[in-house]
Amino acid sequence: MSKRVRWRLLLIVLVVTAMISGYVAMGYANARREWIGPGGPSLTDALKKGVRLGLDLRGGIHLVLQVNTIDAVKAERDNAAELLQTQAREQGLTLGAAEFPNERSFAIAVTPATDERKLDDTVKRYLPDWAVSTVGGKWVFTLKDLALRQIEENAVSQAVETIRNRIDEFGVAEPLIARQGKDRILVQLPGIDDPKRVKDLIKSTAFLELKLVTGGPSSDRAGLLAPTAGQVPPNLELVEGAVTAGQREPVWYLVQKTAVITGRDLKNARPTQRQLGGNAVSFFLKAAGAEKFAKVTGDNVGKQLAIILDHRVKSSPTINERIHDQGEISGSFTPEEANDLALVLRAGALPAGLTYLEERTVGPSLGLDSIRKGVTASAAGALFVFAAMAFYYRLSGLNAILALILNAIMLLGAMALFGATLTLPGIAGFILTIGMAVDSNVLIFERIREELRAGRAPKTAIDNGFSKAFATIIDTHLTVIISAIFLFQFGTGPVKGFAVTLILGLLISVFTAVFVSHTIFELMYGRRQHIDALSI
Amino acid sequence: MELFRQTNINFLKYKWWAIGASWLLIAVGMFAVFVQKGLKFGIDFAGGTQIALRFGQRPDLDHIRKILDAANLGDTGIQRYEEPEKNEVLIRVQQQRQEGRDVSHDVQNALRAGLLGSAEDASKLDLNREGRDNLAARLIAADPDHVAGRPDITPADYYGRMAERIIAYRSEAGIFHSAPDFDRIPDLSPTIRAWLKANAYPGPFVLLSAENVGPQVGADLRKKAVLAVVWSIAGMLAYIAIRFRSLPFGVGAVVALIHDTLITIGLLAILGREFNLVVVAALLTLVGYSVNDTVVVYDRVRENQRTPKKESLESVINRSINQTLSRTVLTSGATMLVVIALYFLGGEVLNTFALTLIIGIIVGTYSSIYVASAIVVIWKDFRSGRKLQVVPAAKPVAPPPPPAAASKKKKSGRR
Repeated sequence: MSKRVRWRLLLIVLVVTAMISGYVAMGYANARREWIGPGGPSLTDALKKGVRLGLDLRGGIHLVLQVNTIDAVKAERDNAAELLQTQAREQGLTLGAAEFPNERSFAIAVTPATDERKLDDTVKRYLPDWAVSTVGGKWVFTLKDLALRQIEENAVSQAVETIRNRIDEFGVAEPLIARQGKDRILVQLPGIDDPKRVKDLIKSTAFLELKLVTGGPSSDRAGLLAPTAGQVPPNLELVEGAVTAGQREPVWYLVQKTAVITGRDLKNARPTQRQLGGNAVSFFLKAAGAEKFAKVTGDNVGKQLAIILDHRVKSSPTINERIHDQGEISGSFTPEEANDLALVLRAGALPAGLTYLEERTVGPSLGLDSIRKGVTASAAGALFVFAAMAFYYRLSGLNAILALILNAIMLLGAMALFGATLTLPGIAGFILTIGMAVDSNVLIFERIREELRAGRAPKTAIDNGFSKAFATIIDTHLTVIISAIFLFQFGTGPVKGFAVTLILGLLISVFTAVFVSHTIFELMYGRRQHIDALSI
Repeated sequence: MELFRQTNINFLKYKWWAIGASWLLIAVGMFAVFVQKGLKFGIDFAGGTQIALRFGQRPDLDHIRKILDAANLGDTGIQRYEEPEKNEVLIRVQQQRQEGRDVSHDVQNALRAGLLGSAEDASKLDLNREGRDNLAARLIAADPDHVAGRPDITPADYYGRMAERIIAYRSEAGIFHSAPDFDRIPDLSPTIRAWLKANAYPGPFVLLSAENVGPQVGADLRKKAVLAVVWSIAGMLAYIAIRFRSLPFGVGAVVALIHDTLITIGLLAILGREFNLVVVAALLTLVGYSVNDTVVVYDRVRENQRTPKKESLESVINRSINQTLSRTVLTSGATMLVVIALYFLGGEVLNTFALTLIIGIIVGTYSSIYVASAIVVIWKDFRSGRKLQVVPAAKPVAPPPPPAAASKKKKSGRR
């Protein structure tokens, strides 16, 4: 064995060992993460888990949501209008009612009595993000572009954060929650097989407010407003009650506009069983909220407090005594609902509503089926190719088969090490790689045959064959890799998996077909001084 | 063994026939795409809902259709799926106008109610439906093995593992056909089995997959797919242009590529195959593969052009095609073997993918000879023909370079 061959062999052994041990190490790491109960994963478990499986093989949910950022903009607009009214009142300015021409602007009528300079100062001080113009006796406030973008931006990143909190609380192994583009969020939850529950969990805004009740509950909406001549007083609002089973008409509450506490004041929430039966959610307040809550409840003993979730009154218990830092939301909850409500309250409210743009659920049995089919097809395809190679090129064919097997092993190792995801199309990419990797061997072997035909000595023929085919091999690989890169750019989920597998497989195939095959030839024929014929 | 020993086929002799045949194929395909039935877009591109279910018994499609019609879901398509003995059904529902309706949930509920009737108690668990978490929660609440309060294990761990076993068995077996199937779940305590029999029943079907794609996403994906194909073709043009520094070669390769893509899309339309993301992946692979094949021939042409010898371009290209013929056939053959295995064994999702590649490999191999190479010949013929007309005979066409000293055919050293 010449020194050169020895070095080459050493390098090949090193690379292959690294790939195999990388695969096994990742396999153990993955298997341990999912292990429940005593003991630890065996080698067989580890070998099954080396490469991360995509949702299509392992089962799970893939969701693309859109954040309705307009909600956050509207909320900002309402706050600004409210703030202006409050500040104006404090400074003794008289202002007309607010109007809302669109999502990002509001208009306020000024009367001749209004001190416009004072108003201008107030606006400059409290509403720096708003552009003001006057149209026919009205001041029109429009949210500036920069502030608008900032609000939208914040709404999306806050939504991502909130969804992440909720998913973490729910307990999903290896969730993926990522922002996509301007206002979209991608959520991938492997292993989850109850899409309805998770979807509701993610989507519920969970906006909690506790407000003092001044009128109702009553199904007579007009009756509630009768004392105020059919108008809702500026400091109050009408809220509909949550619909319960067996209830025919909606119920209305007249409540104070300013909330005593909101979801932001919560420290914790947990599901509880009520003594009378039924499920409820207990919540606990942070220090600042608790102080405020204690004062308001102390001052209003005997009155009703509305617990409003997502703008619907869930319940309206009567305040019996001063309450410090905890309360209970009751309603007709199932145990799961109580659990999920507590969870979303803990995880925080969403800043804006969400719309589902895309959702894909794969059940566990389909994944298992797909793996079975993919593996069968791959095994059959590989066997066909091996048989053809051995038949056509005899001993040299065996060389190619060895190179292909190493290619497959190294591809698995590389996928494990890079943390690439194997999908069903990825399995197709895997087997396609084997079909294409054959190409390099075929190019080389055909060249060697040509050289032999031209009367070259076997050893020269091998060397010439490899060196002449090299440029073509690089060309053929690059063309497929280029298109695979575009595929990667375009693809989502499974298709991306295909592109990754194809690219890795082709890169490895340059190494195995050129370097490994050549070394094997040298091992086969290198020792002998004189070779009469090649088996090719 | 050798299939082709120094063949000498005059491929390019038939180039005009081949070009005619190509045009015909493209025309028929495009007729199918644009005039006749159009591409059958999958839900990735068209939007809508698609649900795959596996039934315990042989499903009665008419009954299913009636139930879904009654549920008022709009246009629904129902078809059998995969191998018939697996009792699998694919349901497609068109895009809903109603915002926020959870169609896949509604379809399942309607079917469950319609197929079960009042045969089962609503408070019981449908073991073909429940996921691991719900099952575990119900087991924890009932605690049939009296684990609560035991020091060595928590109920969540214990029943979590039991739920996992039940789901794993269901995934392995495909579905629970009847209640006695519960006895086959391995490693469950008799008390849990008894509890399952009393509190659970096997529902009519298992959900294999549910997909719901909104109109916006569908439009986005369509746009992205077209862009990906266009960009990868542009990428190939750039690669060939840089690698071969020759316009006719670049144009030949790209025309061959577009030719392959159009014929494949046309044939998919004629065969009524669904056009989805995975098929686009196959198309892009085909783009790479088609150029790959062309490049091998081009590389040979260039190499052969380097040995100075009085030989027409057509003859050089013919010789190059012949020299690479056995490689072309072998590689296409090997890839074809693999793709055929995928076609027959890979299941429904990979079936159209494999078919696309089967068509693509055949067309791609053919086009690297009859389109890519033929265009180079025609281009050069046309150019030299025009030159001869425009330039008077006094000025001959660029003279062949003087033969290098003692160059024989043998001098074909490394590059």
